[in-house]
Amino acid sequence: MDQFVVEATKSTPRINLNPATHTHEIAGESYPENSLSFYGPVFSWLKQYLADAQGKAIKFSMDILYFNSSSSKVFMELFELLDTAASSGASIAVDWRYHEENEVALECGEDFMEEVESLSFNLVSYS
Amino acid sequence: MDFSSQKQHFLEDSGVVFYFNGPVSQSVVEGVGDAIRTKLRHEEVGLGAIQRVFTILIEQMQNIIRYSADRVLSDERGAETAWGQIIVGQDDEGGYYISCGNRIHASQTQKLAHKIEQVQQMPPEELKQYYKRMRKQGPDADSKGAGLGFIEMARKARAPLAFSIEPLDEMCSFFSMKVKA
Repeated sequence: MDQFVVEATKSTPRINLNPATHTHEIAGESYPENSLSFYGPVFSWLKQYLADAQGKAIKFSMDILYFNSSSSKVFMELFELLDTAASSGASIAVDWRYHEENEVALECGEDFMEEVESLSFNLVSYS
Repeated sequence: MDFSSQKQHFLEDSGVVFYFNGPVSQSVVEGVGDAIRTKLRHEEVGLGAIQRVFTILIEQMQNIIRYSADRVLSDERGAETAWGQIIVGQDDEGGYYISCGNRIHASQTQKLAHKIEQVQQMPPEELKQYYKRMRKQGPDADSKGAGLGFIEMARKARAPLAFSIEPLDEMCSFFSMKVKA
């Protein structure tokens, strides 16, 4: 599989999905006009990637400064997808990264953490 | 508007930090969002408050793009533009408010009012559970977003969402809402 890279814009994050290292990163702002169509290709890529994920140690890093409500819905679907893969045997860890002063980002991370069961969801602060 | 009434507006609107009335597109959303963030940073408003203002502002502007009855044809990349009004200001309590206004089709008024009334008096914990439930469930058929915008605004607001829907004619009503961040 090819690496999936999208550069950041003012309202969309940088996305770097790397099938060689199994480390994946989404970082920046997320308030596109249409979140479903923006993240559509990410889901297509991930579904193919996760089909063959057994036995791999997969790491996700999410560092989102701000996201709108339609991105929130998409992130929930993303974590559900990863959670399902984790429950069927893949080892998946998500680092939800937030600036230590960004309480909103922390609360959002906690909201997501409560929704997942099988993947390891970590809240990671930085200064 | 003549020059003297323009001056009058300028002097009277002392609490107004930002005013916009015109076509809203995603690039306007990004530009206005930037302007407000920069302004609040300069005033050394805390990060939490900036995030709350920004969240409500973005949700309101993207609602204009999605639901305003006054639409401009979308461009070749499918980016939509619609007419609306945005006001950001400071009230007597020293907090910020974000207001929006746009025309909506008369057929939308009942559903819209119901959606907002549903979250108006909800206590925080209930709002959180409702938000999480709706996020998993998915939006109803006539929502163009995730159907979470008003719940999100209610969670970030320091007072119940205030709104008004005034009939203009048989076809259209004017929708406005004011949210205290």
